[in-house]
Amino acid sequence: MFEKPKQIVVEVPVSEARRERIEREVFARLDAMRDVDHSNQIAPVRVRRRMPIIAAGFAFAAAAASVMFLVSHEPAPAPPAAPSLVVTPEGGSSRFTVGDAVIDARSDTSVEVKQDPNGTTTLMLGRGTVDCDVMPRPNRAPFRVVAGDVTVEVVGTRFEVSRIGDVTRVDVARGRVKVHGNGELRYVGAGESWTSAMTTAAVVTPIVTEQITPPAVEELPEIELPAENVRPVKPVITAQQAYEAALDIKDEAKRARAYRAVANGNHAWAALSLFNLAELQAKADVKATLATLDELKRRFPNAGNAEDAAWFRVDVLRDARRIDAAKQAAAEYLREFPRGTYAKLAARLVRPSSP
Amino acid sequence: MKPLGFVPLKLVPRSEPTDDGELIAACIEGDKQAQRTLFRREYPRVQATVYRILGNTRDVDDLVQETFIAMFRALPTFRRDSRLSTWIDRIAVRGVFHHLRTKKATSTIALDAIGDIDGGGRVDEQAQARDGLRRLYASLAKLTPEARTAYALYAIDGRSIAEVAEITGSTKITAKTRIWRARREVERRAAADPVLAELLELGREVERR
Repeated sequence: MFEKPKQIVVEVPVSEARRERIEREVFARLDAMRDVDHSNQIAPVRVRRRMPIIAAGFAFAAAAASVMFLVSHEPAPAPPAAPSLVVTPEGGSSRFTVGDAVIDARSDTSVEVKQDPNGTTTLMLGRGTVDCDVMPRPNRAPFRVVAGDVTVEVVGTRFEVSRIGDVTRVDVARGRVKVHGNGELRYVGAGESWTSAMTTAAVVTPIVTEQITPPAVEELPEIELPAENVRPVKPVITAQQAYEAALDIKDEAKRARAYRAVANGNHAWAALSLFNLAELQAKADVKATLATLDELKRRFPNAGNAEDAAWFRVDVLRDARRIDAAKQAAAEYLREFPRGTYAKLAARLVRPSSP
Repeated sequence: MKPLGFVPLKLVPRSEPTDDGELIAACIEGDKQAQRTLFRREYPRVQATVYRILGNTRDVDDLVQETFIAMFRALPTFRRDSRLSTWIDRIAVRGVFHHLRTKKATSTIALDAIGDIDGGGRVDEQAQARDGLRRLYASLAKLTPEARTAYALYAIDGRSIAEVAEITGSTKITAKTRIWRARREVERRAAADPVLAELLELGREVERR
């Protein structure tokens, strides 16, 4: 039985002005995205002669910004989408969208937008700063920012790339990006920064290393590096980082493997991982769930989640209609945690009359 | 055959979409009126849900906005295997969850509007209830995003366990466990905090949706 708590009353302030403001912003952004989608759709139309088109008027372009579209089409089987150049003067800024991405080009910025026939979007940052708000990329075409010899590939979803002289800096506000630079590949997560001026040891949060592959976009500068420059980085991951990284994995099978990897250690995170693994297994495999809970109890009898785990066992057995076993587990829970959070529920369950 | 007589022409106003199916189709076709109708219909619930999970922070409006943009962009992919409202709630909760995970949302809330809490008519009671809410959200900030979201949906937004599970994409068992864990933490704090305890006590019995 799940004891129902009272509903905590939090009245939500109702403001018509607030709703109108949000409605206005939502539809303005949708319109801007549609405009860009539309221009992307019409761009590949074949024309016989070179035709420069100057398209003024991105919906969100700040007054000071100058936005220039130079569309050039050659008869070709699969013409690339229109490249565009966005240049903002000092003190100015410009907002534009490319597909599902909203880009803010900050003061004194020059950025070229390219799309290859596969839909891959590449921003070539000449100078300045771009703030990119991009949807997570699973099932979407890749999105990259190239700043000199640094390539930032979006995993998702909001980040900023600055290029000042030879130094490129990446600040991630939300989600994660892959950064190819300094001869290595790194993931930079939310709240973290990376700069090309850093030494290997100073780079923030190295999580994984992968073999570097140059971006697949045409016309991009080659970023092939001599093999001796590719320095493998020791994965400096604490148990907590590994646990938190596991929480973020969407694929359940992979997440289960990650939990198992953390659980193999001998620390508090291992106990948490075992519990989460049991939760994950409970969706499909009662036997595996119970085995994991057994392991948790055996290896970490005094873990902070021992009580939760004991009660979880009751719940799993009850959901599996193994009522006798559930009662037995509830009795065990009561023995271990007579004043526990679920003591009343457990007592109710072990009573002879309970179903 | 009789000749057709004079048939007066009648101007018929364009009909509004009558059900979700028509409304969705019209929105996908780019009918702005339909899109605004959908926005205005769904906004109060989405705003309330996000607000109740996060408390009164500036991020609420941003997340509501992001929810609707993501929803309209993804509407053509809506498979209709759940109710439209549930699908939208899922987008909203996923956004909130992501926000909690990445921004480490602060526990500070500025309860600036009198009447946020249905805690009685007297000003001192309202002030106490506001203080209780501040403490509630401070204790929620100590929880994992999963537990906080599940608990807020259940205990504050009044959703059923089944709904919490559906919206958060978990099993009922997982949803229950998260709510229990959160509740235990909140009640543990309330045991040492009479203002928070009073707020929990002020709650009302509700029929779960």
